[in-house]
Amino acid sequence: MEKDFIIAGFGGQGVLLAGEVLANGFMLDNKQVTWYPSYGAEMRGGTVNCTVVCADEEVSAVQKSTADCIVVLNQASFDRFTSHVKKGGTIIVNSSLAKIEKLRNDINYVFAPITDLAQEKLGNIKMSNILALGIVSKVSKIISTQTLEKALENVIPAHRKHLIPKNIEALKLGYEYDLLPV
Amino acid sequence: MAVETITNKKVLMKGNYAIANAAVMSGCQCYFGYPITPQSEIGEFMSGKMQELGRGYVSAESELAAINMVMGACSTGVKAMTSSSSCAVSLMQEALSYACSDELPVVLVSVMRGGPGLGNIYPSQGDYIQSTRGGGNGDYRTLVLAPSTVQECFDLTQKAFYLAHKYKNPTILLADGLLGQMMEPLEFKEYPYPEVDNSSWCLTGAKGRDGRIIRSYAPLADNQCKFLDRLFAKYKLIEENETEWEEQNTKDADILLVSFGSTARNVRTAAKICREKGLKVGTLRPITLFPFPNKRLQELAQSVKKIISVEVNMGQMVDDIRLAVNGKVPVELINKGVGTPPSPEEIVSRIEELI
Amino acid sequence: MATQVFKVPDTFRKDFKYTFCPGCDHGVAIRLVAEVLEELGLQENAIIAAAIGCSVTIYDFLNIDALEAPHGRAIAEATGIKRARPDKFVFTYQGDGDFASIGLAESIHAALRGEKISAICINNTTYGMTGGQLGPTTMLGQVTTTSPTGRNVEYYGYPIKIAEHIALCDGTAFSARVSLDSVANIKKAKQAIKKAFEVQLKGLGFGFVEILSGCPTNWRMTPEQSHEHVRNEMSAIFKPGIYKDITAEIK
Repeated sequence: MEKDFIIAGFGGQGVLLAGEVLANGFMLDNKQVTWYPSYGAEMRGGTVNCTVVCADEEVSAVQKSTADCIVVLNQASFDRFTSHVKKGGTIIVNSSLAKIEKLRNDINYVFAPITDLAQEKLGNIKMSNILALGIVSKVSKIISTQTLEKALENVIPAHRKHLIPKNIEALKLGYEYDLLPV
Repeated sequence: MAVETITNKKVLMKGNYAIANAAVMSGCQCYFGYPITPQSEIGEFMSGKMQELGRGYVSAESELAAINMVMGACSTGVKAMTSSSSCAVSLMQEALSYACSDELPVVLVSVMRGGPGLGNIYPSQGDYIQSTRGGGNGDYRTLVLAPSTVQECFDLTQKAFYLAHKYKNPTILLADGLLGQMMEPLEFKEYPYPEVDNSSWCLTGAKGRDGRIIRSYAPLADNQCKFLDRLFAKYKLIEENETEWEEQNTKDADILLVSFGSTARNVRTAAKICREKGLKVGTLRPITLFPFPNKRLQELAQSVKKIISVEVNMGQMVDDIRLAVNGKVPVELINKGVGTPPSPEEIVSRIEELI
Repeated sequence: MATQVFKVPDTFRKDFKYTFCPGCDHGVAIRLVAEVLEELGLQENAIIAAAIGCSVTIYDFLNIDALEAPHGRAIAEATGIKRARPDKFVFTYQGDGDFASIGLAESIHAALRGEKISAICINNTTYGMTGGQLGPTTMLGQVTTTSPTGRNVEYYGYPIKIAEHIALCDGTAFSARVSLDSVANIKKAKQAIKKAFEVQLKGLGFGFVEILSGCPTNWRMTPEQSHEHVRNEMSAIFKPGIYKDITAEIK
């Protein structure tokens, strides 16, 4: 078994951190896992993505041209990564920042207004990334929010531990969000 | 996760941080460095950690200064290192030549990026020749260890310190941007090697003895000949004792895929796909690039029909394979100039083209 | 009864051979370094880094631990030694080409970091061992093998005033320029070397002495002429003096 995930968005949306939480979750589930970032010369802005591969055996290629599940947090990432979803795979789209539009018939679309939800329900758009992981948990059925909660504790540094409850709230909100058929 | 203390549990960590943590846990007393992508996390981690531990750290004014500071520290017998990347490792070649001649246990972590020149910051294996042959003057060799996982980044960093001190010779950990930047679960281990006694040669002040001189200047031709003979006897010993590689499914293999570092990850899967297709493919991964597993390749050249080197460069290790097998068996190349390694599927299709 | 008025410092190697040209000031400079090491009781705790040029042969004279550095990198190696073993007395002995041309970045940055090492730089306005080529301190008008018609500004630019530059660095504890052209000046030179060593021992920062030094062979002069040249020509451009001394400020 091998499952590939890509998370993509603007620099500053917490894309790399979300990937790190997801990868930590797989590690806690005793799976083999790798996390690999796109890295460029720019320090701020631009688009950024990371690839998380989880497998039963040692992961071979850490960068993938296609993935089973791709999370796109903005329009640019949606445009770029739609064609990278494997047949039968899923794309999770932040409809707050991307048009609701289905361009392929052979993949599953999940639209959720992730940024708006984070702002309205949590009062902080910075929670968008972790909220998206709640949706990943629900849609992929490969990792539980309980594991992701533990993963958050691994990733969030000691001096920011007070942010963990709010992040757990974000995870649950994502998981419980009633995904509307489009 | 940048800062971690010793535990038995696994942590998800970038290769760069694995290297830095391994250095600290190996007892590295001094780190000197100059930032360059894609290895800057190593210096960032060390700047805080070494201060915290009361050890030496300098943000050096250049790579020239950094590696010479390492030589200075090493001359006193302590473990010391620097880390850098490609075009900046070029700046260190003079010092590596000196360190081989001075027989100083310098540890250099080289996290390869694209070249030549400034190139780019993406992964590459283009410094195989730079590491195994060196760009410095004169006859010398550096030990070169090539990890292919984050765990190996950790384990081989510890080993680099040991081998450098055991043989009094510069030792390079040759990683690449992919290994430096990727995260993978890692288990910390205590330094597993014995401490090497340096007291017979290191500089501590001439107390109760004559002053020691560590130098590479041998004004008489005869002296230099004798020195080189001794140096190369040491390299022969290193070849006999320290050559390390990993192989899979070579027993009945018709085709042998040879790759090192991060590329070997994809090659392993490519070989598996080939087997599923009925192709008898085996793999060999040199873990030490110097010393190179020449003997093992010579043995395998008796049974395989073709050897294919898979590299992210324009074909560098392939030369060493050809030298090793000396025409016994055809040696081909599957390569990509720079970037993440070719995917397993791409490697398979190119193998199919070659057979 | 005979009274001993001069002796070879105990810090000298018993089997040393004098290898410098007649009239060269390296011999005097090295003796001063040796005397100061002895007076401060540093012989058994000192480590020297020296690099390429006539200066590197200092370790054939001094019976102390020594590391030979690539050209220009003596300060970097001394930095590494000091960071690894802060309890050791660490110093460099370099030529002007080594200290102020190829190694200028290392020199300035060690001074800026307040690296607790001492550096002695012999300024003889030329690359001595290599055969008298133009160096960073070659004076305007000076004929060398690579400035055959003399150093002119349009073609070669200006020489560097090292002691002044080092004095500008905030981490410098002591910076002085001295000369070896007379007995009085040799005494002053020794005092400056002692000071540059003491600021390290007190942990105050970077200690530096630039020594104006004759190179009669490459200058095509007699030893006497070369000292006159140091006194009259060189000292007019590279003015001897103490350019920074934070111990004076502390008092």
